[in-house]
Amino acid sequence: MHLEDMKKLAVMARIDMGDEELESMAHDFDAVFAYVDQIREFDGNSNPESGKAPTDHLLHNIMREDVVTNTTGACTDKILAEMPKTQDGYLKVKQIL
Amino acid sequence: MNIDLKNLTIEKAHDSLKAGEYTVLDLANAYLKVIKEKNSELNVYLEVYVDVMAQAERAQAMFTDGSATLMTGIPVALKDNMLFEGHVASASSKILENYKATYDAGVVAQLKSQGAVFLGRTNMDEFAMGSSTESSAYGITRNPINPDYVPGGSSGGSAAAVAMNGALVSLGSDTGGSIREPASFCGIVGLKTTYGTVSRSGIISMGSSLDQVGPMTKTVADAEILFNVINAYDAMDSTSVPTGKRVSTTTTLKKRIGVPRAFVSTEGVNQEVLKNFEESCEKLKNAGYEIVDVSLSLLKYSLPAYYIIMPAEVSSNLARYDGIRYGLSSEGDKLFDVYAKTRGAGFGKEVRRRILLGAYVLSHGYYDAYYNKAVKVRDAIRNELQEVFKEVDAIITPTVPTLPWKFGEMSKDPVSMYLADIYTVGANIAGVPAISVPSGFSESGLPIGLQITAPHFAENTLFTIGKDFEKLV
Repeated sequence: MHLEDMKKLAVMARIDMGDEELESMAHDFDAVFAYVDQIREFDGNSNPESGKAPTDHLLHNIMREDVVTNTTGACTDKILAEMPKTQDGYLKVKQIL
Repeated sequence: MNIDLKNLTIEKAHDSLKAGEYTVLDLANAYLKVIKEKNSELNVYLEVYVDVMAQAERAQAMFTDGSATLMTGIPVALKDNMLFEGHVASASSKILENYKATYDAGVVAQLKSQGAVFLGRTNMDEFAMGSSTESSAYGITRNPINPDYVPGGSSGGSAAAVAMNGALVSLGSDTGGSIREPASFCGIVGLKTTYGTVSRSGIISMGSSLDQVGPMTKTVADAEILFNVINAYDAMDSTSVPTGKRVSTTTTLKKRIGVPRAFVSTEGVNQEVLKNFEESCEKLKNAGYEIVDVSLSLLKYSLPAYYIIMPAEVSSNLARYDGIRYGLSSEGDKLFDVYAKTRGAGFGKEVRRRILLGAYVLSHGYYDAYYNKAVKVRDAIRNELQEVFKEVDAIITPTVPTLPWKFGEMSKDPVSMYLADIYTVGANIAGVPAISVPSGFSESGLPIGLQITAPHFAENTLFTIGKDFEKLV
C-alpha cells in the first residue's frame, strides 16, 4: 500500500490522520492482506458446499406494521440532551449549501 | 454479613435471598466492597452505577411481594457497549465518553423486568475491537488470576469482574471470540449464543452480521439460567429469530463429539494448550462420549473471511459517529472538517485501522475479490458445519491457541493478535453457538479453556456437555 492510497482511504473514512500514522498503517495493511489473501485459494466453483443457498432461518424479509408505536415528544428531551448543539428544540448544524 | 462470593452461584444466592439469610442490599454491598478493594489495581469497572442501592431495593421488594424469579437481586456487570437508560455507555471510546443511553438495550430491559441489579459498566477493547482489552481508551484491565497478564478481550472487563468476585455474572458481546477468549483467559465460562437468539437492540454495533450478546459466569448452570432469560424474540432487532423458528436439528444426543484434527494442530498453537486439549478429550471419553475425527476443510478460511466481513461492517456501522447528533464533536470550518476532526480525535488506533480496512475491501475494484468472495466462503463454511453436525452432537477445540500473554507482547504486529481468534471466529461466521469452559491451568498457573460448538439453537447440547465436562476438571 502506498501513502497516497492510504490518504484517499482516510478521506473516504472521514478521519483526520497524519502521514506518519498512515505510513505505519500501510505496513499493517500489507501484513493483514498477506494473511487475508489466503481466501483467494478458495475455489467457489469446485467446492461442493459453495453455491448452495443457506436453507436455515437466517434469510427472510422483515416487515413491520406501519403504525406509530411511540408518543410524540416522549423521547425528545432525552435525545436533545445528547446533541452537541441545539436551538429551539432542533439540532443545530453548519450550513450545508 | 459474610457471603462466600467465590463459590456463589445464581441458585445458591436465590435460595439464600428467598430464605432471608441476607438481603439483596447485603449481596450488592458485598460485591461493591470487592470492587472498591480491587478495582484501582485491576481497572475492571469504568463506572459503578450510582443507583445500585435503589435497584437493590426494588429487587428486595420483589422478594417481599412474591414476584421474585431466579435472576431477581442477582448482581450483574454490563459490558460498556450495552445501553442502560440514563447511564453512560462509551464502548470504551473517547468518541462516546459522555454519551448517556436514551433507552434500554433489549437484554437490559429483559433483566430489569426480572429485578437483576446492574452494578456497573466494564472495560473493553474500544468498540469491541481487540483480544486483550488493551485498546480501551480508558487504560488496560489486568487479569485477576495474574495481574501481569491480559484478561483477554474484547469483553475483558466483564470476564475479570466475574473472576475477581466483583459480580456474580456478567454480559459480554462476541463478534469473533470476544466472550469466549476472555472467559478462557480468566478461567470462567463464556457463551456465544446462536445468531438471532439474543437481542442486539441497544448493543453498540461492531459487525452486525456477527455480533451476539451472551453470559459470562462461573458455572455452566449459571450461563444456562442467564441465557434462558435473554433468549427471547425482540421486535426491535430485525435479525431476532421469531420464537417458533428457533428449532434445533438435534433431538436426542448421540453422545458423539467431533474433533477437527488438522485444524486444531494449526501452526503456532501452544504445546501446553494442545496437551491440555488432549487431556480434555480423554476426560470426555471417560464420561461416556465417543470422540471422533471430523474433517472441516473450510474452517481455516473463517479468519481470513472474518477480516474482510467484519471491517466492512465496522466501516459502515461507525459512520454514524460524526460529531453531529451525539457524542464528541470537534469544531471545524466546514462540515467535512467537523466529521474528520471529530473522528480523528475520538477514534483510537485499532478502530481507525479497521475502518480504513473496511473502506478498502468495499472499494471499487476490490469488492468482488474480497467482500463477495468472503460472503461465498461464509455460506460454504456454514454448509460444511451443518453436514458435520449430522454425524456429531458437537465439535471441540481449544478456545484459544495461546496462553494469556503479557501486556504489549502482541502489539507490534496486528496479525499475531488477530490469530488469537482462529478457533473462535468460525462460530460467528456460521452463526452457531459455542461455549468456553475452563479446562485446567498451564504449568505457570494460567487458565486454559475448552470450546464446545453445537448446531444452530442447540445451546442445550452445550449445557449438557459443559456440565458433564465441568465435573471432570
